[in-house]
Amino acid sequence: MATEGHSEDIGSIIIHHVSNSDVLVPLQLFGMDISITKHVIMIWLAGALVMTAFLLGTRRYRREENPIPSGFTNFLEFIVDFVHNQMVVPNVGREHAIRWTPLILAFFTLIVTANLLGMVPFFDLIPGGGTATSNLNVTAALATITFMSIIVAGSMVHGVVGHWKNMAPHGIAWPVLFILIPIEILGMFVRPFALTMRLAANMTAGHIAMLAILAPIFIMANAWVGIGSVTLNVGISFLEIVVALVQAYVFSLLSAVFIGGAINPEH
Amino acid sequence: MEQLVKFDPGLIFWTWTTFFIVLGILGWKAWRPMLLALEGREARIREALVSAEKARIEAGQLTARYEEQLQVSRQEAQQVIADARMSAEKLRVELEESARKKAYNLLSKAQEQIAADREKALREIRINVVNLSLDVASKVIERNLTTDDNRKLADESLRGIGKA
Repeated sequence: MATEGHSEDIGSIIIHHVSNSDVLVPLQLFGMDISITKHVIMIWLAGALVMTAFLLGTRRYRREENPIPSGFTNFLEFIVDFVHNQMVVPNVGREHAIRWTPLILAFFTLIVTANLLGMVPFFDLIPGGGTATSNLNVTAALATITFMSIIVAGSMVHGVVGHWKNMAPHGIAWPVLFILIPIEILGMFVRPFALTMRLAANMTAGHIAMLAILAPIFIMANAWVGIGSVTLNVGISFLEIVVALVQAYVFSLLSAVFIGGAINPEH
Repeated sequence: MEQLVKFDPGLIFWTWTTFFIVLGILGWKAWRPMLLALEGREARIREALVSAEKARIEAGQLTARYEEQLQVSRQEAQQVIADARMSAEKLRVELEESARKKAYNLLSKAQEQIAADREKALREIRINVVNLSLDVASKVIERNLTTDDNRKLADESLRGIGKA
């Protein structure tokens, strides 16, 4: 029988499973706390995996002038080509694409790897949640990079003054600017905030849902409930794989759209 | 719940560090070379497609030109054959005509020769007959012979004609 005490325990267990761990290795840098936590390890692991895969998979691109991809390199080339031609070129334009594709690739590969790593049960052996991208600090850090990139991209193409002038559309009556400029400034901050919340919320929600579906097994201690919960969770896991890919795509695509908007404000 | 929204500057710092290390190293060593290779390949494929299209058009034009030349050659060959046939026919007619003329000439000459020879022979016969007649007449006149003698002489003369 479920009791109120059980429910509270389950609730705190779920929150514990999706939130960061306590400090594993305490560290300080110029008085700032940069202690190692589980999410720090997970983001390192994601970075290390991405680096290893791409550095090993692109060896022939550093050796040969016209390499012909095969096997795993084909897969890596598909990712690079997809980000370049489907996300960056349509938004940023072909002229600036080669400069901004690496940034969008870094977003996409790092986020998708961190998202998928969070689904590997092995990492649950360490206390705390395994999905670094479900942590608002991680997504906020990434969204801040998008925010800064928008300003840098606009300033590089139109100059610092030109970029800020582009914030308001040209050729409108000046009284409208009194309303428009605050809205645009608000929009400038809302965009990265939305990126932060969307990614973290989506990655947390799936894990909370899965844990909540597993919880009745422990509350009711019934085999049939167990079979039902696990079956449902297998289905949700497939859905989570899709969500992991889609959310990485959405974050990267929107970053490309915002950067493209700063480069081509007339669009 | 507050664990989920806890501000963690250390995690932000490590996220930035990891991100920029990944971006710096991979941007330099993996993605830029790969993007350049992709662009190069794209350009080569585009060039290859353009040149293939050009080659296809050229091949089409060449085929059309060859077919046209073939058609002209065929017409020329037919013309040559027709001319040759016409010339041969003309030559045959000419040769036949010439042969016919030659044969006709030969025949005419032979006939003329025969007629001339015949005429000549008749003339000689006539002369001989006249001479013999004169001989016979003179002998008759000189001897004043009898009727039997005259007959005998005439017979002799006639026998002389037969011998001649």
